[in-house]
Amino acid sequence: MSTTLVWSTITIYVVIAIVIAYLSRNGRQNSMSGYFLGERKLNGFVSALSYSATTYSAFMLVGLAGLTYNGGVGALGFEIIYFMGVSLVAIFGPRFWLVGNKYGYVTPSEMLGDRYQNRWVAIVSAIASCLFLIPYSAVQLTGIGYLLQGVTNDAIPYTTGVIIATVLALIFSYIAGIRSVAWTDSLQSLIMIITSTIVVILIVNSLGGVSGFFASIEANDPQALAVPGNGFFNFWTFLGLTIPWFFFSISNPQVSQRLFMPASLKSMRHMLMGFLVFGLIYTVVSVVWGFSASILFPGLENADLATPMLLSSEVVPPILGVIVMVGIMAAAISTIDSILLTLSSLFSRDVYRNVKGDADDRKQLLIGKIVIPVIAVLAFLFAQLELDLIAVLSVASSAGLIVVVPAIIGTFFWKRGTAAGVIVSVTISSILVIYIEATGGLLLSLKSGIWGIVVATALFIVVSLMTQPPEQKANEFIEYVKERMKSKK
Amino acid sequence: MNQKEKFWGLIILLVVILGYVIPYTFLSDVTKWYGSFLVWSILAVITILANYFLTTDWSDEE
Repeated sequence: MSTTLVWSTITIYVVIAIVIAYLSRNGRQNSMSGYFLGERKLNGFVSALSYSATTYSAFMLVGLAGLTYNGGVGALGFEIIYFMGVSLVAIFGPRFWLVGNKYGYVTPSEMLGDRYQNRWVAIVSAIASCLFLIPYSAVQLTGIGYLLQGVTNDAIPYTTGVIIATVLALIFSYIAGIRSVAWTDSLQSLIMIITSTIVVILIVNSLGGVSGFFASIEANDPQALAVPGNGFFNFWTFLGLTIPWFFFSISNPQVSQRLFMPASLKSMRHMLMGFLVFGLIYTVVSVVWGFSASILFPGLENADLATPMLLSSEVVPPILGVIVMVGIMAAAISTIDSILLTLSSLFSRDVYRNVKGDADDRKQLLIGKIVIPVIAVLAFLFAQLELDLIAVLSVASSAGLIVVVPAIIGTFFWKRGTAAGVIVSVTISSILVIYIEATGGLLLSLKSGIWGIVVATALFIVVSLMTQPPEQKANEFIEYVKERMKSKK
Repeated sequence: MNQKEKFWGLIILLVVILGYVIPYTFLSDVTKWYGSFLVWSILAVITILANYFLTTDWSDEE
């Protein structure tokens, strides 16, 4: 793939995206809820595309394709279980939205802090999110680095790709906060879904249509169509990979914060349904992509190179290949810029405000804007470490975030839950997950995500039962939600 | 949770469990397109339908 073509396409993309980001600058951005939540007025269409772009990062066409390349159809199952987990939005979405409107929450950690009536709950859960999401952003940057390096045969070095992505993510979050992020996300996800679908159709056609495609997989490696297949996806690995991702939509603040933003529940419904349709198409496209690479280029040492190989192959017209490549880069950026925004809102709203005590809205916004580049630089430094297989690291961060799930479920459904329960469960299980990840990723042959959810749940329940719940708040909060949910039976 | 949430929530839970059980038991030797590939795809479509019905009455009240 020619370097000139790659550079010119990147330039065109940057120009269009920046114009769109500028055009999105309507409404007030001088308050926390204006800047970080779009004044809770996002419409369903933009919400759906932006939610999809934020969720589906460079991981899909690089990491998921790589997992398919290595382990076969189990990769589809892994992504579909995640996809089913997004149904949690149908249960938790309206609840987040109702209390967000009533109490003015800007971040999910703020909601936890208020519900459990303890600022340390907000601080601890915000810090846990930063701890795990910065590596997750780094993973996205790593993806871009590999990709650009791969398709241009090292003409664009790894570090250059990483720098481009970091700078763009910063620009998109700065121009108009969540509005510029949402609109550039929408552009990116539209380009992505259209071009990658076209490429997959071309590839499948070149392999003799759908039947030819499956026949080629069978001829190549029949085990790829079953699990555990070649053993890559043995049941416990599968369970360990899927459990954290199943809860992604409520455990990851960059997506759960989105539940505060839609203008109405109808908008939220459009967001959810739009995402599900988008997600299913994109999942199948990414998996077919990985299978195609395994047919066309068997025996690659690093599966993350499967996508770059495919894009620069003869099956894909160069111009289309380069658009998809820029699309993948854009996908990673759209994930990172959302994370940057969310983390900076967590820091200013939940850490700074609670520690400082007297920070008004304007001050919080200022701090949030200062923190955005700091987090970006941290992610950049992590990416420079060039850690192993993309998917594995990405899963490690979602395994870490799973520890807040019991506290979130308790927020809406368990009046007996206490602040001490949340703090102990989040802290100890975070440390446990980090310990497991640092010592090879398995404890008693189980992955960190399984330990994370089990230990966090047990600690939350046991410690809560031993301590005093905030009865008045719990009653008021849960009864309000119950009453409102009943009226829409 | 209201009745509707309980009903469709259970359906989704069932679909998730099937998503683990079927491919790893009945289909572990079926190395064809109509094996795990098809089953996971069908379960995904059922998930979309369940979400559709679960959210039919979400209103446009702001």
